[in-house]
Amino acid sequence: MTIPLYLAIAQWILLLALGLLVFIMYRQLGHFFGGPTSTAEFGPAVGTGAASFEYTRVSDDTRRHFAAGDGQAALVAFVDPTCPACEALVSNLNTAADGGELDDLRVLLLTWDPPAYIQISDTFRATRLEIGRPVSHAAKDDYNVSATPLLVAIDMQGVVRAAGAVRHLNDLRAFVSKASSPARRSPAPIAIVATPNPGE
Amino acid sequence: MDVLVLGAKAALAVMLLVAGGAKLADLTGFAAVVRLFIPLRGLAPAYKYLATTVAVAEVILGGASLSFPAVEWINLVVLAAGCAFAAVSVLGFARHRGKSCRCFGALSRRTFDVPGIVRSALIAAFAGVATVGVSGSAVRLGAAAQILLLAAAVLVLAVSFTAAKALATVPQARSR
Repeated sequence: MTIPLYLAIAQWILLLALGLLVFIMYRQLGHFFGGPTSTAEFGPAVGTGAASFEYTRVSDDTRRHFAAGDGQAALVAFVDPTCPACEALVSNLNTAADGGELDDLRVLLLTWDPPAYIQISDTFRATRLEIGRPVSHAAKDDYNVSATPLLVAIDMQGVVRAAGAVRHLNDLRAFVSKASSPARRSPAPIAIVATPNPGE
Repeated sequence: MDVLVLGAKAALAVMLLVAGGAKLADLTGFAAVVRLFIPLRGLAPAYKYLATTVAVAEVILGGASLSFPAVEWINLVVLAAGCAFAAVSVLGFARHRGKSCRCFGALSRRTFDVPGIVRSALIAAFAGVATVGVSGSAVRLGAAAQILLLAAAVLVLAVSFTAAKALATVPQARSR
């Protein structure tokens, strides 16, 4: 019994396509099991002062100023409405906000995407959290936003306490806890005094 | 020659299935691309429906092309789709250079650029090759073979959807 030529060719192409897709998923497993959620690959360094920046509030198109360390802890999320992982983060933030877990924090969602994109995303359209568009790319450099989503937890003193991508609600709660916890005083710097060598 | 024609036909069908499945996994992202080409105020909720329509159309076309190789008019529809991809690629390069085309959802981060135009031109050329007639015995499939190919199409669709969904959970690199 001979099989039609088309079937012989199609089965090889299907095998190739499925193999490629399985490879993509296999590679993806590395992201899930390979490292911590908070990554040092992007985002500001933990322990440094968070930068202030200007942004335009999307809801009323007014220009606002974000000043880190103004006496209120903050969560700043760099998100894009067209990025599924960002939608997941905003969804988790909405859940936490609805549960009152973010009441003591200032929460700001920042995007460089046009406001029309916000209307396309159901999650962004439904959120009651403040959405802003930075007026310049300075914030991108200051916060090292090379990828989205990026969540930054800033304590009351304006110090970055955690930064990275957040996938789960429990990870978000850890960020909230870090932002809300009292600031730790950094140890006093050790003074190194150079003394001249007696022999000199 | 039959091998080349049938290879082009099967490859395009699988490509359509993968592209459609990946787009279905990231409808918001693809809706934003649709908005680039139809920038109408007040149409925001409709963009997702448009994006869904395009993705589903790709899936149906890919599945039909893969499972019913003897139906010649499907080849012409695939050719028309290939030409549409090429036109979108050129238009995207002219108006939205550097923006992501999301042609394969989260599976690809390719943008509207010159290599993208070349790729879409190749797809259109492949679709043109696939319209060349072949001997009837090469594409005459029994019902069992057609069901088998349809099942394979569903499998490719499911795997591409899953792979794109999985990729979408990774932070996406930003460029200025």
